Amino acid sequence: MRFAKYALLACASALAIGWGTAISTQWWLAPKRAAVIDITDPALIARGEYVARAGDCVACHTVPGGAPFAGGLGLQTPMGTIYATNITPDPETGIGSYGYGDFERAVRQGVRPDGAHLYPAMPYASYRVVSDADMQALFAYFMSSVTPVSKENQPTTIPWPASMRWPLAWWNMLFSSPRDFTPPEGADEVITRGAYLVEGLAHCGACHTPRGLAYEEKALSEDAAGLFLSGSVLEGWYAKNLRNEDTGLATWSEAELVTFLKTGRNDRTAAFGSMSDVVEHSLQHLTDADLTAIARYLKSLTPREGREEWRPNEDLTTATLRAGDFTAPGALTYVEHCTACHRLDGMGAPQVYPALKGNSMVFADDPSSLIQITLAGGRMPETPAHPMAFVMPGFAHLTNADLAELMTYIRNSWGNHASPVTEADIARMRHEIANKPIHYAPEAGR
Amino acid sequence: MKKTFLLTGAAVVALGAAVAWVATRPALDAAAPAGIAILDAYKSEVGRYVIPPDSDILAEPNVDQILYGKRLLADTKRLLPDNVGAQMNCNSCHMLDGKIDAANGYINTVNFYPRVMPRAAREVDLEGRINGCFQRSMNGKPLDRDGPEMKAMIAYMEWLRQDVPKDQRVDVVNAGVIDESLIPDPVRGQAVYAAKCAACHGGNGEGTFDQFGDVIFPPLWGDDSFNIGAGMARTYKAAQFVKWAMPPAMHLTGQLGQGGVLTDQEAVDVSEYFTHMPRPDFAPKANDWPNGNKPKDARY
Repeated sequence: MRFAKYALLACASALAIGWGTAISTQWWLAPKRAAVIDITDPALIARGEYVARAGDCVACHTVPGGAPFAGGLGLQTPMGTIYATNITPDPETGIGSYGYGDFERAVRQGVRPDGAHLYPAMPYASYRVVSDADMQALFAYFMSSVTPVSKENQPTTIPWPASMRWPLAWWNMLFSSPRDFTPPEGADEVITRGAYLVEGLAHCGACHTPRGLAYEEKALSEDAAGLFLSGSVLEGWYAKNLRNEDTGLATWSEAELVTFLKTGRNDRTAAFGSMSDVVEHSLQHLTDADLTAIARYLKSLTPREGREEWRPNEDLTTATLRAGDFTAPGALTYVEHCTACHRLDGMGAPQVYPALKGNSMVFADDPSSLIQITLAGGRMPETPAHPMAFVMPGFAHLTNADLAELMTYIRNSWGNHASPVTEADIARMRHEIANKPIHYAPEAGR
Repeated sequence: MKKTFLLTGAAVVALGAAVAWVATRPALDAAAPAGIAILDAYKSEVGRYVIPPDSDILAEPNVDQILYGKRLLADTKRLLPDNVGAQMNCNSCHMLDGKIDAANGYINTVNFYPRVMPRAAREVDLEGRINGCFQRSMNGKPLDRDGPEMKAMIAYMEWLRQDVPKDQRVDVVNAGVIDESLIPDPVRGQAVYAAKCAACHGGNGEGTFDQFGDVIFPPLWGDDSFNIGAGMARTYKAAQFVKWAMPPAMHLTGQLGQGGVLTDQEAVDVSEYFTHMPRPDFAPKANDWPNGNKPKDARY
């Protein structure tokens, strides 16, 4: 009994010290950068708008059809849904009362003016490396150009005690410590610019880098193990491997990548899911020079050990299907439901319907995206490059058995080769889709 | 000590319950298809029709014939080059192998013929109707009425009918309704074409072709398109298809080939535009509508 008493006391003390340390970090860890910014400078505002585009702030902080930056969009986490906040310059419900120091601290360090820590759903761990110049421009843009909207923030659905914010200080100290942007070793100007955008503003790693037990990104910049941007699953989408290796971007050229980033499609594939939003809200607005920098940097990421180049097998499928041989498992289902768009040769219609042959999303290590898009459908981004954005309908009305066989067929036809998809995989994704959060906070009065 | 045992026990029970709950959670699967009403002559429901999956064909005694028919409808130009003059397949207009509502489905086709048709002013059987398509929409030559190709195409449609009796029909329509009182404006239609059609059918209606030269999206005018004798060459008939089937791939739910994007006026305008572009003549046109009653949108 005595031991229990001491143990309890020790736990309580540890908790108290932990808590005390955490809540004090706002004073000793996060000095305010109290620069005075001329928020009326048109050049600064214009630059800030570009920075905001590159940071894709609008995508998370806007509900479909809602006022830009007024918040409310839900992000699904394993513990509950986090709703993006109102970041319009409304003094009551938004960030209108923020000084530059408050703003900088929130965006780059994840600390609110009242000392509370932000959930790392806000990618401040990535924004850490954003330059002071960009940060000041961003502040000028938000304070001068964004329309203030009065809209209360929506509480998270994460249950207590997991919803407590003070332990986030510890998370912060462990996973989002202060750092500056370091150009990759031996990189030229273009690749350096690409690395700066990818690691920082564009926060590509938020979706594309695998996360650890504490939901932290396993790497925030190029690492020896090559985990950075090596692919991760978020909200049931597999954000693909962006490293220049086998099932990553090895089969993509820099030009294809630039076209994809700018228009959301190329002859091979089309963006869908969250990437569709990223292209629509962010990437299509970047300069060709910045898109080239991003593409060249991604292509410079070296393959992880053992990830030899992915080469397609010989395409035996096209001739078989064209000859009317539909006997392979899944072939008849493919011909029935998919050929109208993706065609017997698996090539789709360039710039209209994505190809399945040679499409790295199809033969990715993790088939989550293929499964989700087949069940729930997908929408291309809208950009000025194309007059029409096409939508793939969902095929949830097909049985798990049919879908498993079909996707296994697609992943292993026309020269593609990848692991099979099982009925259990399909059933799991149906649960995931059924439990998706309402993607935005209900508007007041509804 | 008793307390410790109790707590441990409770923890084990809770863990077991959690594992059991996850294990017994039902695996989600597709819902059973709702089916479409089968109507008798008085329009009362007498049964349900479920669009059959192609895998059902494998259980039919004439499986090869049905699958051949399915292929002919989908790849008509490639497989029957001597009979198809245009760059067209049957499925260019009969979306999704005819398994669709409001976009020229084949579900009721077998039960619809033979029938007296106003354009011919005489009874037309299914073979005659299919050959009408080959001569007009496909701008080609009729098939041998008793040949294996004709029999295979009809075998597919017969299978799709799923034994619905002759005097009954599945509650789908061949073409959705369009307001025929609307006055078409080809100038507005040209703008609609550029915005909503050209991405697939090409800026000059020339269509899109794959690596083998096979049609992906058919030409809408020019020498390789349907001739003026085709139903699709008539403004309001085309507008029905445009309104209810075009552009495809616009909705997250439902079948491909469901339009519903354009307004009736836009559909009529764009149809007026593309139907009146240059296209092949149809020599036997003089025989059409021998008893008069020529529709107002006939091209001749």
